[in-house]
Amino acid sequence: MSAPALRVTNITKRFGGLAAISDVTYEVLDGSLTALIGPNGAGKTTLFNLITNLFTPTEGEIYFYGKSLNGLSPRQIAGLGLIRTFQTARVFPGMTVLENVLVGAHRRVRSHTLKQMLWQASARHEERELTARADGFLEITNLLKFRDVAATDLPMGGQKLLEVIRALMTRPRLLLLDEPAAGLNDSETSELASLLRAVRNSGVTVMVVEHNMSLVMGVADQVMVLDAGCLVASGSPQEIRKNARVIEAYVGQEAAV
Amino acid sequence: MIPIIVGGLLQGSVFAMVALGFALVYRVTGVINLSQGAFCVIGALITYTLERTLGWPVGLAVTGAVLGTTVFGIMLGAATFVPSLARLPNSSMLMLTAGLLTFIEGLLLVVWGSDPYDLPPFSGEMPVTIMGVRVPTQGFWIAGTTLIVILVLWYLLSRTMLGKELRACAENPLAARLMGIDVPRMTVLSFGLAAMIGAVGGIVVAPITSLQFDSGNFFTIYGFIAVAIGGMGSFVGAVVGGLILGVVQQLAAGYVSSLFSDGLAVIVLLATLLVRPSGLFAVGVARRQDVRDEQGVQLSVIRFNGRQTAFLGVLAVVLLAALPWLVPQSSGLLSSLVITGILFIGVLGLDVLMGYTGQVSLGQAGFMAIGGYTAAILAVKLGWPPLLGTAAGMVLSLISALILSLATMRLRGVYLALATLAFGLLIDSLAIGMMATTGGPSGLVGIPSFSIGSLSFATPFSMYYLVLGLIIVLILLLLGGMRSSFGRALQAIRTDQTAAAALDINVERYKVAVFAISAALASLSGSLYAFFFHFLSPEMVDTSRSFEMVTMLVIGGAGTLVGPLLGAALLTLLPEIFQPFALYKTLAEGILLVLTFQYLPAGIFGSLAGWLLRFTNRQTLIQASDVRLVKDESR
Repeated sequence: MSAPALRVTNITKRFGGLAAISDVTYEVLDGSLTALIGPNGAGKTTLFNLITNLFTPTEGEIYFYGKSLNGLSPRQIAGLGLIRTFQTARVFPGMTVLENVLVGAHRRVRSHTLKQMLWQASARHEERELTARADGFLEITNLLKFRDVAATDLPMGGQKLLEVIRALMTRPRLLLLDEPAAGLNDSETSELASLLRAVRNSGVTVMVVEHNMSLVMGVADQVMVLDAGCLVASGSPQEIRKNARVIEAYVGQEAAV
Repeated sequence: MIPIIVGGLLQGSVFAMVALGFALVYRVTGVINLSQGAFCVIGALITYTLERTLGWPVGLAVTGAVLGTTVFGIMLGAATFVPSLARLPNSSMLMLTAGLLTFIEGLLLVVWGSDPYDLPPFSGEMPVTIMGVRVPTQGFWIAGTTLIVILVLWYLLSRTMLGKELRACAENPLAARLMGIDVPRMTVLSFGLAAMIGAVGGIVVAPITSLQFDSGNFFTIYGFIAVAIGGMGSFVGAVVGGLILGVVQQLAAGYVSSLFSDGLAVIVLLATLLVRPSGLFAVGVARRQDVRDEQGVQLSVIRFNGRQTAFLGVLAVVLLAALPWLVPQSSGLLSSLVITGILFIGVLGLDVLMGYTGQVSLGQAGFMAIGGYTAAILAVKLGWPPLLGTAAGMVLSLISALILSLATMRLRGVYLALATLAFGLLIDSLAIGMMATTGGPSGLVGIPSFSIGSLSFATPFSMYYLVLGLIIVLILLLLGGMRSSFGRALQAIRTDQTAAAALDINVERYKVAVFAISAALASLSGSLYAFFFHFLSPEMVDTSRSFEMVTMLVIGGAGTLVGPLLGAALLTLLPEIFQPFALYKTLAEGILLVLTFQYLPAGIFGSLAGWLLRFTNRQTLIQASDVRLVKDESR
């Protein structure tokens, strides 16, 4: 069996005396769709920040397909094909929706800058190909009609979807999505669910932080539960639904008895 | 030695007072207010008028001047600074305050003219001798006043309710607003207080330095450097930074040469920025990388489709090519058109750097100076052909840009602006100081016309077409780059470096690349400038030129490639056409800049293009309003 897409071993992050993440160990299997759930402040986003090295772990190691991410810059980590989105949609102001999606294609562009400046045929051909691919993504997320509109003019739900397809344009090996359904209405959420399934089926490993339980239970192969910086449970959606500690974390102590 | 240090401390007290004004506004708003230095000059000049012209007693004149300046500051802040604060990104706020500085200078020029003024010392001309050192009595006034200002400011901020409210605005404006604090009013108040401190500083120092309408520039630059050495937003830092700067400057002037005194101050600044970027007494909070720096930034998006671009482009080229036949041959208008074009080449570089990539540069004229002086010196002293000299200047500029960009890689926003400003000042001070090679302050004469082989461009007419041709080639190259992945990467970096890096965009490499492009274009522009004028002096390529280039960019339309041409034309041609109104040039420039920021955030070109697009692309407009509908429903 091949190496897991992501292996996190005994990772701990302390801010001063506060342990935001303590001794978390888990694996994300190649080709799976893993959901990370937990109450507010459980450390889900911190975990993502540790994986992409926006924060340096206090202890522990992270491996991406067997390669240690220790000491790599966020850019180098992205260069390996580990691409993330952010909790607050970070579309680029001053660019259209299409241009925002095309930024994602940056790492796939082969034409040298000089060729682009000289308007060479090969560069323009590549540009058309990328645009066609971007249009395809915009189509399936129902954003095509806003293609040439300023991205910051999109409603929040649209901006979140835009960020997801921008990440897909990079052709990631592992996609980390931080609350992609926040701000989406019901129909947008179901579109997102089918998009995520399609992404997983195309062979991309996905890890998603999400609060929307119906989305999580509907699409995830594996669910991990984080509470107060500790991994309290993991398993299939069915197992998690019945897990007492998960109910405790979500509903409170009394209900767990 | 000791007299020099005493002189340095006195000079430094004034820098400290300007720096305190900076720190105050920065603490409350997070913006460096470049117009701070101008309040010193307003205070001093009003005092002069009240005391000398109207014959008021000193005390009354000073009080009147301080109050007058404060009221002026409050009005100016309420009308321009505060309404823009919520809408503009910080880099634009910096430029807005630069516009305010220009505006005030223009106003002072109109009211008081360009003569230098000096006030009589408050308590007589006789210096006092303490332990063998002669100290002018005004020195005690300066030192005493500085001390009082510091104490009052400290008491106000840490011991009064008002101070608590001001500090709350600084810590967290949103939370302050929720607590019922009127944040805009506090901002205006801090602006007025800063103006008051500036006026006091200007008035006490006026008897030992002569002031004129544009001295505000000097105070602003040195106050800025002082506050950066001390640490933005720190009051102790502002005072210490100011004193260090004063002493360093006087020591340099005393022991090296007054021509280099700026240079040493700048080196101290650069060293501070590189070793301890946030200053000696930094009060900064750690920045969170997973949240965007500036949340509410809105940038306009203006896109013509391919056919429209081609049509408008050809139309513009035809018009520009016909222009020399349309202007009267005898007038100097054709020369002004050539100058417009030459400056535009430099502004084009600035556009790639600032407009597309969001890296603020206040040192663009520094690269113009490198290009201009290298080409001119090689041509005059060694007889190199102009083309070769121009190329040599570009190589030298590229090397400088590489060093500057690598050294300033970690700096952002206002710190980067400061580092580039320092670079410009350094080059300027070299140009002044290296008398033997550059001709010093009086300039370099006898520069030949530009030529390529035996083809000489000696007339404005031939030069016009050379520059036009260059511009067309450059715009085509840059347009090709900007509409492809290169340009998209730059625009991603412009507002969000972390998100760009998360998409595998090599932020550092692109920043170095755009610095190089902008330096090369500025260098080219500087060389052509020298060959066209047959003369080059430091003040043709000094810091005010850098500011002017930024103004051209912003007024024309940053991030639009052709927009800055309108800005360059406006600032070069208007003074030429309205010669009799030359007195009002600076004032008009300032007003234009401030109004552009407030009402035309996409510049003249952006507004024109927006209007044109509304006219032709009904389709796009409908889509945009659709989006607003969806947005409203989702709320």
